Amino acid sequence: MKEELIVSGRMNHLVDPQLNIWHWQIPLYLFLGGLAAGILFFTALFFINGKENEYPAAVKKAPVIVPFLLILGLLALFIDLRHKLYFWQLYTNIKLQSPMSWGAWTLMVITPVSFIWAALYIREFFPNWDWKYTWIKLLEVFLIGYKKTIAWIMLIFSVILGIYTGILLSAFNARPLWNTSILGPLFLTSGLSAGAATIMLLSKSAVEKKRFAQIDLILIGIEVFLIIHMFMGFMASTQVQIDAAKLFLGGPYTMAFWIFVVALGLVIPALLEFLELRKFHIPVLISSLLILFGSIMLRFIIVYAGQVSRWLY
Amino acid sequence: MAVDTKKCVGCSDCVVACQTENNVPIGYCREWVVEVMAGTYPQLEIEIRSERCNHCKNSPCVRCCPTGASHYSDGGIVLVESKECIGCGACIASCPYDARYPHPDGYVDKCTFCIHRVKNGLDTACASVCPTKCIYFGDLDDPNSKVSMILKRRKYKTLIPEAGTNPQLYFII
Repeated sequence: MKEELIVSGRMNHLVDPQLNIWHWQIPLYLFLGGLAAGILFFTALFFINGKENEYPAAVKKAPVIVPFLLILGLLALFIDLRHKLYFWQLYTNIKLQSPMSWGAWTLMVITPVSFIWAALYIREFFPNWDWKYTWIKLLEVFLIGYKKTIAWIMLIFSVILGIYTGILLSAFNARPLWNTSILGPLFLTSGLSAGAATIMLLSKSAVEKKRFAQIDLILIGIEVFLIIHMFMGFMASTQVQIDAAKLFLGGPYTMAFWIFVVALGLVIPALLEFLELRKFHIPVLISSLLILFGSIMLRFIIVYAGQVSRWLY
Repeated sequence: MAVDTKKCVGCSDCVVACQTENNVPIGYCREWVVEVMAGTYPQLEIEIRSERCNHCKNSPCVRCCPTGASHYSDGGIVLVESKECIGCGACIASCPYDARYPHPDGYVDKCTFCIHRVKNGLDTACASVCPTKCIYFGDLDDPNSKVSMILKRRKYKTLIPEAGTNPQLYFII
């Protein structure tokens, strides 16, 4: 028999048996950031390959919503800060060891770039758009000349942003569930998959829909592989990581994870997309929304379950 | 710092002294006492530990802090500069000992090893108030300090050394 007695105030790991520091804001941001990264990645990729007119939703339409996603995500992050008026301190330091620091700098680069790209394609939504001031018009002409450079910046920084949403969590060795390097690629893949799903939703071209359904199928395959790989890694690791895996293998998060993330978010949309590619008529809306739902649930469940997982002593 | 678990009686004077000395807001704590009872009657064994921030040499909180608010001060004490802290919570999530808490004023707070007292040559509040004198505070780099001397003589352990943090709070067992 072993019994522990603790004398102290609250906010103690043994009085509050689990960490209770991050709430809905963080997983929401991780989702929006990952989605934005996914969309911008495909935008840049297809633009650089010169497929602008073949894949209009990917290059012209979807990126216009990205600034809104990023602003919403940044707002969620800002709400999460407890010392809000000091947020600018993020930009007086570059700390390479802190993923949050280089994530903040990545956002500092990619947010304005996404605004520029959206502004260059605003006429896709408002054909008669007029920038009113001549200097903005001159700037537009100038930026159009550098589209390829902008696309390359977007391509590189979207991958960094997508990986960062996972690395942010995996840097914490105090939370064994998060402390796996698989989380970076897993969140990147999930973000790319969510991006592809959004592009499918917005696309009106059958060729584009088909191409993105194929891409998405591959991404889902990679995601399933990474999830299996993650659990194999946990089960072959130390006791704390075995305990972390057990949160999903019989523990309190089992149902939520396997039903919402794996079944509804990965397996069913993959089946639907597969049938669609086999010429069955299935509305793209269903699989796209399921993927977005699975993507958001993955982040919520990992963020909350990670706060339960801990070192025991 | 070293805490003699054989001498500690678990009176919690250190907890109260810390809260008074450092104006810790009600409901929070920078340090706490853990009593671990093991065995079945009549073969019982008890270990009492006065715990706080471990002022690790390889601190995950310093590593994860995006602004540099969490830092090592001279002598290795891990401190938070409240004017640089944005309250993101990364350090709280990164601490395997859960030694940090979000202060109601927004910044993150934790044990400072009473640096304001130590600078004036005093002991920490917890060490100076302890009725059984079971808390030893001093410079671990100085081989003749109280804490170095006791660690030479006695068996000790640190908490979760396998987390790789290189904790600097020693428990004499």
